[in-house]
Amino acid sequence: MQRADDTLSRAKDGDQTAFADLVREHQAMVFSLSHYFSRDRATAEDLAQEVFIHLYQSLGSIESPAHLKFWLRRVTSHRCIDHARKEYKKRTVSVDDAPEPVAPVEFRDSLMTEALRRIVATLPEKPRLVVTLRYQEDLDPTEIAELLEMPLNTVKSHLRRSLAILREKVTRSLGEIRV
Amino acid sequence: MNRFDDELRQALSREEPSPDFTDRVMSRVAELQKREKQGEKMGWLRRLTEFFQPPQLKWMKWAPKMKWAMAGAMAVLLVIAGFGVHHRRENERRRLAEIAEGEHAKEQVMLAMRIASAKLNVAQRKVHGTAGREVESK
Repeated sequence: MQRADDTLSRAKDGDQTAFADLVREHQAMVFSLSHYFSRDRATAEDLAQEVFIHLYQSLGSIESPAHLKFWLRRVTSHRCIDHARKEYKKRTVSVDDAPEPVAPVEFRDSLMTEALRRIVATLPEKPRLVVTLRYQEDLDPTEIAELLEMPLNTVKSHLRRSLAILREKVTRSLGEIRV
Repeated sequence: MNRFDDELRQALSREEPSPDFTDRVMSRVAELQKREKQGEKMGWLRRLTEFFQPPQLKWMKWAPKMKWAMAGAMAVLLVIAGFGVHHRRENERRRLAEIAEGEHAKEQVMLAMRIASAKLNVAQRKVHGTAGREVESK
């Protein structure tokens, strides 16, 4: 914690090595949030880069390592939603129209993982973000509500409905597996 | 926690971006710093240029975005100007026609007066002639 504090204050003082350390420390979180949201590595890397450039320009307003984490999650979420809105005009895939992964009846971990990722990617923007924050970042609904500036009940309802959709889709695509 | 939650957690576990990600971010940061420094250096020149530039109206910044609105406004202005010119010409034509009509009426009045005057002269001469003969006979 002391080390993280030190890195942050050095970065705020203009130390580029310290800023690079901050990027290295948080890049997996920022990139993964963007990746599970966009389902495209190149887009996710672009979004993540934008987030870190924004961080560099806003370093003065970051108060602590915990605030930094919160700030990165919030900015990444907003960037993802903005990006999705821009992309919306190009193509729209609804949960029901999305192709379902073809799978043998026999259950395999990698197949399940891939199927879940694909189905998560077909959820609408906000529920997708809520699910990603819940299961990638292990945040509870209260933290997600604060992060996305959304009522707690909305977050809970997004989670409940998304999980129901995910269960149904996974069961349909992978056959009778215990989910 | 059920198995499905674990599956989701595993499916959405963090991933690393490409190995050169940090380097790419840092090179963009360096580029940004360079631009900021250049901006600072050029600051005095920009201020000097701005000082000698004519004042720009705020709406001018929006001009490229509003080209269709501006074209529309220009078209409306042209129509109004055309209508104005046409109205002015029509008024002028009507005024000249009224003057010509007045002149014509004046000429007719003059002619009528000349005829009346001639008739009066004839009548006067006749009256004078009759009166002279009566005096001579007496």
